[in-house]
Amino acid sequence: MTYVKNRLRRTMMFVPGNNPAMIKDAGIYGADSIMLDLEDSVSLTEKDAARLLVYEAIKTVDFGGAEVVVRVNGQDTPYYDQDVKAMVKAGVDVIRLPKTESAAMIQKLVKDIEKWEDEFGIEHGTIGVMAAIESAKGVLHAPEIAEASPLMMGLAVSGEDYTADMHTRRYPDGRELEFARNMVLQAARAADVYAFDTVFSNMKDTEGFYRETNYIHELGYDGKSLVNPRQIQMVNKVFNPTKEEIENAQNVQNAIREAKAKGSGVISMNGKMVDKPVVEKANRVLETAKASNLIDEEGNYLGE
Amino acid sequence: MEIKTTGVAGTLESSDIQIMISKGSNGIELDLDSEVKKAYGDQITKVITETLQKFGLENAKVKATDKGALDCVIKARTLAAAQRATETSDEPELEVL
Amino acid sequence: MDQVVDLYLNEPATRKRWESFLSKLDLHNFSEREIKVIDHTLGLLDEDGKLVGTGSIAGNVLKYIGVCNEGVTAGARFNKIVTALQQYLFNERIFHSFVYTKLKYSSSFQHLGFTELAHTDQAAFLESGTPNVEDYLAELPKIADQANKKVAGIVMNANPFTLGHRHLVEVASQKNDLVYVFVVATDRSLFNSQERLQLVKQGLRDLPNVVVTSSADYMVSSATFPAYFLKSPEDLIKTQTTIDARVFKQVIAPKLSITSRFLGEEPKSYTTNLYNETLKQELEPAIAVKIIPRLQVNSEVVTATQVRQEIKTGNLEAIKSFVPGSTFEFIKENLAELQRRIKEGMNINGN
Repeated sequence: MTYVKNRLRRTMMFVPGNNPAMIKDAGIYGADSIMLDLEDSVSLTEKDAARLLVYEAIKTVDFGGAEVVVRVNGQDTPYYDQDVKAMVKAGVDVIRLPKTESAAMIQKLVKDIEKWEDEFGIEHGTIGVMAAIESAKGVLHAPEIAEASPLMMGLAVSGEDYTADMHTRRYPDGRELEFARNMVLQAARAADVYAFDTVFSNMKDTEGFYRETNYIHELGYDGKSLVNPRQIQMVNKVFNPTKEEIENAQNVQNAIREAKAKGSGVISMNGKMVDKPVVEKANRVLETAKASNLIDEEGNYLGE
Repeated sequence: MEIKTTGVAGTLESSDIQIMISKGSNGIELDLDSEVKKAYGDQITKVITETLQKFGLENAKVKATDKGALDCVIKARTLAAAQRATETSDEPELEVL
Repeated sequence: MDQVVDLYLNEPATRKRWESFLSKLDLHNFSEREIKVIDHTLGLLDEDGKLVGTGSIAGNVLKYIGVCNEGVTAGARFNKIVTALQQYLFNERIFHSFVYTKLKYSSSFQHLGFTELAHTDQAAFLESGTPNVEDYLAELPKIADQANKKVAGIVMNANPFTLGHRHLVEVASQKNDLVYVFVVATDRSLFNSQERLQLVKQGLRDLPNVVVTSSADYMVSSATFPAYFLKSPEDLIKTQTTIDARVFKQVIAPKLSITSRFLGEEPKSYTTNLYNETLKQELEPAIAVKIIPRLQVNSEVVTATQVRQEIKTGNLEAIKSFVPGSTFEFIKENLAELQRRIKEGMNINGN
């Protein structure tokens, strides 16, 4: 496995790192990213066992093409060093650092990764990093964190810890997270990295889940963290492009092809210039459409 | 490697295996309890024994309660229990896996 | 996903919720006597925070285990709570545990690697972990060709070791090639288990065919027979003594070729007398039960209870005629300490 900076990341499914049954099945649900957790879901007495289990799982379990992310323990814990070492050796795609509050923390993580890469003879740059923003300080420093390293994959809002830090709790309407969500998203976009929303843990409240997912999609988030595989299809549904968006994206590609055939340096469509953001958006739309089986290999629309 | 205490790792939950390692003097003495012992007993025994040998344990009493664990889980749990028994958990021996 | 949490039963609301959950599962004995010995309790909460499972630890014994299987794979919650209880014990460096359970749940525990040691129509007694009963028996001294020798067993608390105990062992040693004296390991007596074992060893040193050893968790222990140490209702005593007798008969005796068990006559203690009756019922005819009349000194029956009374009042002279020299020396040297234990509430009228 190797880290790819740009790929589809609508869903990041959390899997407790000491649970073989859940790890074994993690690949079958079609999550874009799987986050194996060594931190909160593992009790203090099982940190060593979970680390070995996750290490061995990364090396042997088929995760169905999903990106494999591991949340290591925080830099203020005695587990961090060995966690990073083991995950580098295992060849994980991305390491997620919890409780990130500064660019320096990410830079330390990257340095530590490089140290172990050197020890194991692994090329630098094959592992990405991402930051979990879980405190007021982290939110305010989101811009510098997002730009901390060329290996930065993205930022994730972590609602539970953040709301505790803010002396509040999660509410169904999400107003308590408004500032954090916007700040983290702005920081991510400005630095050209991905932005992930926090988990929604009340499995019974389907309507609430859709409301929240629609909302963060509308804001511009790339994806959402999940605790339950049942939520994957729900997120994908929200993130599906419309038929019009797909047709428009296909036209953008047609315009590019025609321009190339003519040897023209300028690409235009409907009298407007097709610039980089437009091309990238079109690529994103088509990638999502393909992943959700809305179009086939030839680009024929398969949706309703 | 010397066993200093009893070491246990793994759970009794589905797809897991619980490995308990304590002092022994007669090679690797394995007591395996598994619902799939008939079909996979030999394979499970092999994975546990090889993992312990690779780790450097020649004598140990091992009690394994299997709940349908994959080889990778058996290896990881065996090593975790062995490191706990030898009080070396702080320095994971990843080379063993 | 269900979550394991710590439950603190001293919180009235938690206690109420816990009792009402177990009551629904047909567990009803919440006497203080049972609750008091619990060291820790765990709960299992479902996604809505509802209590769907629980289990407790008392020493190395798993207790009050109950799960609700509604809407989940049968066994999943049971496995989860038992795993969590064991992990709690492992962290306390306890790698050997027991469970007393209804007979119908015995197989569920066996699926989790527990070994059944004995059962009655009602209850089953199982162990898990290491060192287990096989390890315990393997380490006891043996003699050549033991299977064809006459071997006897005696279990005693010896709180403390008296001439009465000595008399019982002497009788047995004269009639047998080998006698195992199992000294109760559970530490709930005036003389702690180390002191009792030491005094028994010293008091029998001159008898070459006697092996003195700890009864570990297998004979008259807080695991097999907790009622021995706590005032208990008769049906409970009956179940526990039956289990204790069956462990001796089915697990201990065969490995050591024990064919007889020697007991002191028990006119005074209600619990011990019930125990002796159960032993006769359960062990015979496979194992002969020999009840030996109590030794009398100056026409007075020698009992450890009497010795403890004299310790309380500091009457060393009275003690001297009841105990061997080694026990007497120990009491003399530690009189103040023993009296302090009594003052601090150690019960000296039980066993």
